[in-house]
Amino acid sequence: MIDCENGELRDLLPDYLHDRLDASTRTLVERHVAECSPCQDELALLRDLRGTLHRAPRIDVAAVAAAIPAYRPAARTRWASGWRIAAAIGAIVVGGAALTFLGRGGTPAQIARAPITAPATRVPDVGGPTSPASAPRVAQQPTPTPEPAVAPAPPAVKSAPAPKGEELAMAGGTIADLSDGELSDLIGDLESLDAVPSADVESTESFLTGRHRGRHD
Amino acid sequence: MPDVALPTDERTDLDLIARWKAGEQRAATLLVERHAHAVARFVASIGARDDVEEVVQDTFVRAFASLDGFRGESSLRTWLFTIARRLLLDRRRAAKRRGEQVEVQEGDAATEYDPLDGVVADETQHRLRSALEKLSPTQREVFVLRVSEGMSYAEIADTVGTTEGAARVHYHNAMRTIKELLDD
Repeated sequence: MIDCENGELRDLLPDYLHDRLDASTRTLVERHVAECSPCQDELALLRDLRGTLHRAPRIDVAAVAAAIPAYRPAARTRWASGWRIAAAIGAIVVGGAALTFLGRGGTPAQIARAPITAPATRVPDVGGPTSPASAPRVAQQPTPTPEPAVAPAPPAVKSAPAPKGEELAMAGGTIADLSDGELSDLIGDLESLDAVPSADVESTESFLTGRHRGRHD
Repeated sequence: MPDVALPTDERTDLDLIARWKAGEQRAATLLVERHAHAVARFVASIGARDDVEEVVQDTFVRAFASLDGFRGESSLRTWLFTIARRLLLDRRRAAKRRGEQVEVQEGDAATEYDPLDGVVADETQHRLRSALEKLSPTQREVFVLRVSEGMSYAEIADTVGTTEGAARVHYHNAMRTIKELLDD
């Protein structure tokens, strides 16, 4: 059996056999094969070889398919953990602000209305020079409600003493200073915050549909 | 060099993958039905013996577990062949570590699993098989992918971890060997 000298075209015979050529190339191959005896022989040999190789071992395709598990996306876990971290940071900030306010004698109702301020450790010294841009917004903004208990709150933040050691977060008081009633109110308010997501990733969907809707029905 | 047309079923594979990811388990079954026999032919041709179905099943389980990493840059079938080939090589290495006899005898791939063995007394078939048995493992692997599966040299290179040029050389050497053996 001799080989065709047109190696480039001969190389296309398996593609021709498997119908993987575009129309123009296919026509080119067909015209060549019609006039080339070695390519006719090789094409016939390729057909026989394909037939031989296609005698495959029998396998139970249904059993193979049954072993395929349902799809489980992998990316969602990363998204969920990042969201949890952000929510936890948010909860710490809100909780810290609430504790700070209570340490100044505020009530839970005032906490809900009062703006969230920066931690007391970052408030500039009252006596020092402050530019309008750097001055704390809390001190300059008029209180939107006429209640006297809210208006004095910002100056109280500005005059907070320098924090020490483990009392940094409390900014003027520890949790031990709270009465049982104040502590109970604080815990109740923190529990009522909707900003903290469940740790259970799967419950997010039910939160948006059934469970959350049920709470308001 | 003329263009080689893309297989017509690649879009269907991607559609089925999307449907499976959307929760349609039937789409996975359709994908297995489309490719399982080809994978079985391939692993048998490169030396799988009694464990063809096991290798095929492992191939699909692994492929579906990592379909998020499949970008469609190669055809799904090429990707499956690549996984199957690696699985088979891992099994051979593991068997070798256990001290088992794992040398693939020439001819195992082409003859061992044909259910018609001993039944079909076709002289042409026997001659062709004998010729295929004489190929080196690499030649046979490349030749099977080219002739039986119709893969391009680029796809073969991806599957067996070589270059297009080397795949072309292996194919033509295999074809020359087979012709010489048939002429004897």
